[in-house]
Amino acid sequence: MADFLAQYGFLIVTLVQAGLLGLSLYFPLQAGQLSLASPGFYAVGGYVAAILLTNPAYAGLRETLGQGVFPLTWLAAALLCGVLGLVVGVPALRLRGIYLALATIAFVEILRVVSLNLEVTGGAVGIFGIPQAFGFGERWQYIFLFGPLLVLTLLFARQLERSRVGRAFRAIREDELAADAMGVPPTRYKVLAFVIGAVLAGVVGAMSAPFLNTWNARQGSFDASIAILAFVLIGGSRNIWGPVVGGALLTAIPELLRFLADWRLVINGLVLVVASLYLPQGIVGALERWRRRPPPRRPVPAPSPAELRGGRRTP
Amino acid sequence: MQRVVLTVLLGVLTAAHAQRVQAPIPIGIAVAQTSNTALLGQEQVIGARMAEKYINARGGINGTPIRLIFQDAAGDENTAINAFQNLITKSGVVGIVGPTLSQQAFAADPIAERARVPVLGPSNTAKGIPQIGAFIARVSAPVAVVAPNAIRTALRLDPKIKRVAVLYAQNDAFSVSETGTFQETAKAQGLDVVTVQKFLTTDTDFTTQVTATLNANADLVIVSGLAADGGNLVKQLRQLGYKGLIVGGNGLNTSNIFPVCQQYCDGVIIAQAYSPAQASAANQVFVRDYRAQYKKDPPQFAAQAYAAVQVMADALRVIDRRKKLTSWELPALRVELNKQILAGKYNTPLGELRFDKDGEIIQKQFYVAQIKMKDAKNGSFVFLR
Amino acid sequence: MELSQLVQNLLNGLAIGSVYAIFALGYTLVFSILGIINFAHGAVFTLGAYFTYTLVVGQFENNGLLRGVNLFPQGSPFAGSPWTFALATLIGAVVAGLIAVLIERLAFRPMRARGAEPLLALVSSLGVALVIVNLIQLLVGAEIYNFPANAYGEVRPALSFQLGERVVIIRTVQLIIFAVSLVMLAVLGYVIGRTRVGKALRAVAESPGTASLLGISVDRFILITFFLSGVLGGLAGTLVGTAFGVAGPYFGVTYGLKGLAVIVLGGLGSIPGAVVGGLVIGLAEAFVPGDYSAYKDAVAFALLFAILLVRPQGLLGRTQIQKV
Repeated sequence: MADFLAQYGFLIVTLVQAGLLGLSLYFPLQAGQLSLASPGFYAVGGYVAAILLTNPAYAGLRETLGQGVFPLTWLAAALLCGVLGLVVGVPALRLRGIYLALATIAFVEILRVVSLNLEVTGGAVGIFGIPQAFGFGERWQYIFLFGPLLVLTLLFARQLERSRVGRAFRAIREDELAADAMGVPPTRYKVLAFVIGAVLAGVVGAMSAPFLNTWNARQGSFDASIAILAFVLIGGSRNIWGPVVGGALLTAIPELLRFLADWRLVINGLVLVVASLYLPQGIVGALERWRRRPPPRRPVPAPSPAELRGGRRTP
Repeated sequence: MQRVVLTVLLGVLTAAHAQRVQAPIPIGIAVAQTSNTALLGQEQVIGARMAEKYINARGGINGTPIRLIFQDAAGDENTAINAFQNLITKSGVVGIVGPTLSQQAFAADPIAERARVPVLGPSNTAKGIPQIGAFIARVSAPVAVVAPNAIRTALRLDPKIKRVAVLYAQNDAFSVSETGTFQETAKAQGLDVVTVQKFLTTDTDFTTQVTATLNANADLVIVSGLAADGGNLVKQLRQLGYKGLIVGGNGLNTSNIFPVCQQYCDGVIIAQAYSPAQASAANQVFVRDYRAQYKKDPPQFAAQAYAAVQVMADALRVIDRRKKLTSWELPALRVELNKQILAGKYNTPLGELRFDKDGEIIQKQFYVAQIKMKDAKNGSFVFLR
Repeated sequence: MELSQLVQNLLNGLAIGSVYAIFALGYTLVFSILGIINFAHGAVFTLGAYFTYTLVVGQFENNGLLRGVNLFPQGSPFAGSPWTFALATLIGAVVAGLIAVLIERLAFRPMRARGAEPLLALVSSLGVALVIVNLIQLLVGAEIYNFPANAYGEVRPALSFQLGERVVIIRTVQLIIFAVSLVMLAVLGYVIGRTRVGKALRAVAESPGTASLLGISVDRFILITFFLSGVLGGLAGTLVGTAFGVAGPYFGVTYGLKGLAVIVLGGLGSIPGAVVGGLVIGLAEAFVPGDYSAYKDAVAFALLFAILLVRPQGLLGRTQIQKV
């Protein structure tokens, strides 16, 4: 067992971590908002933890709190990312569709450039020598942090879906104007969904900084934005299990393909193409379909570019 | 059923535990074979392979050959950690050469440290790498020693130099720390740093930085960057009319910049941690083999990876003389190898080198060279002093 | 700011801005007709440069499976004169266009046929980009390739003129890029605006359903669009390669992100918008004061963020029709 964990423990934890990041994108998506800001909040959360855990300015704090400093970093990351989510979300969520996605990518890139330039974030080298959470000796032990976080998040997501808030999210996703007319204030709920995602990504980042032992500006990037979007879409965007399955799978594939040596990433790219062609509803969507064959439906008409541009057509 | 699986699993695991050292002796190489760090990584692969061939051609470790096992560490932290873990657990390597970037080393080296596997960083130059742990050492010299010589050489070539423009790649850890040393040295030599310009290793257009440099009337330009960006910067400086001397940092010490700046590379003074002109027998054999295969001088990244593999092999040879390698148990050999690496003295293509107690390289010679271009594509580094 | 400095920044900005613009043209063309962002565009751009390089030089360096191959042992017929170089560039661009067509057939059309989530096109095109980039590395290594210095003939590397007390300088190759991108824009504008193909394209972009009712073969015009976008991308790749070298398999991908900012800034799907967006971002970057050059890369995105908040449809985009 020990050897299995030594070899695959780190990978297994990163699968869970990817699932969590997928979920952080899933929350705003529930309210119909395509936000790709997760890597930005993930990076901020990681920096908060890295700074609290290594910066000499907080040495006193670390001494007083002992291991208690770790939960504190999660809390601090959650708070900061929540506030940041609010500040960014209120103006940005006036945008729709692909425009919102691109605005959030802009946010991620701006954060990346800023953190590359600040002294407190360690510039290009970043922050290193981050102490291990609760004195964990092996990386697989981080499953004790990410595992419960995943369970809690899934429980939370289920409760949310059944609650009034969840219904409001869905109403906005289906038709924002109608929801507004029915007394569901769209902006408030959209921002709420966005902030939930931001807080989750921030906490994952705060847990990941000790997990990686180091943190730098490359952790939150455009590439990560698209990767996380792929987690959700390949996994399935209409079910809470989708992002979890997609994140785990897409993170595992390049590692499982190591035996292909130089062809590894070529095949990984092909897998992405084939998956998007043959699993249009995502893996979980396909499984659901397969389990209970739905009654025949009218084929969905292909949306026109104008609709995709975020515009709605007059009837 | 479950019991069977469990038994099989346990059987496999205990077998792994009592692991003896395999023959040929496995050494892990975890460098960037993909991602946009592969420009550096592919040179390291070449260097390591040449070392393997050379060592085995001369009888390996007292008759037992070595075998390099490559795992792609790409350019990110997660892949580097997974590569290390694969090498340590699955391949049972005695030691690891890698990863390519310092940021990756900060993430992956602690894994090897924990598993008590010796690591030699072939190109990690950031501050604090050897201090990650007892099992971490490097053959890539940090910048503080390499850079000042180049400025002094420039001043010797042109004593009238007064105004210095400093340009560096702000997203590259090495360049950031190197430029600090450059700037301190310039000031210490009584020069005026008239402008400091930043860029990114992914940048291609440097007109803004170049015009700022020209407007500041600099008569010496110091560039810290990597091959693609550094080469383009040199080319654009010249094309836009800069006439003075250019000093390039250690990141530009590769023949990869020749196709980038072409004839404009001519005359650039380079701070080197490796020089193909270094006279030792070890280096001349390496240079001869490399030229025979690739029709050009070996770049520093290849030389450093070669040196790292050679250091491991040399240390293994000493251990083997005391007790045959294949009779060791793997964990014990790893610990012994680490001890031996730090204790020895090595004649590598980098010149004579050894390590301090942290695992920091103590390299005897550093070099300053000037680029001499034969035609648009081919050139060489001519030893100065 | 002095006049000479102003002019210099203006020239720098236009030069780099036109690179952004020609990159973004192909991006925006596909968006205008399919409403998807084709992440593989950066890879097609890269391929264009590699194809031209293959024709002009014909051999590769020390890494990759094609190591040691020499296509033209007698010397490349495309080397030596600016005209043959232009021909090689065109062939490279056309091959890139064919690759783009192939991508549409293999990665996008089946998805449309299944009525898949349009966002999945992002993932699928990302996969295509991953395949192309890594195939390039597999074949010819990660090294930097450079076109012969005399690709454009024996021209001076830079032009300069006196303005007040200072000299204003511009690299010749950037002037060429600027001029070629203007020509490309004019041709594209003519094709879209004046020809029957262009009219049909516009009809398809407006409403695929109606267009097919009118007897226009939508799939064929989507293919044409991809071909055009690939040709533009391939051409741009070679041009940019002559200015900065073909810096490895990720050469074009690094423009992908900024290209996004460009097309959004100009207005998604708007062709003049892509040009205006590219020039605006190029100029904004050129006017970043030297001391803050470290933040240069954030400028495009700060602009993007600001513009989106004020004018969500971009500078030249059409206004959204809201349901009331």
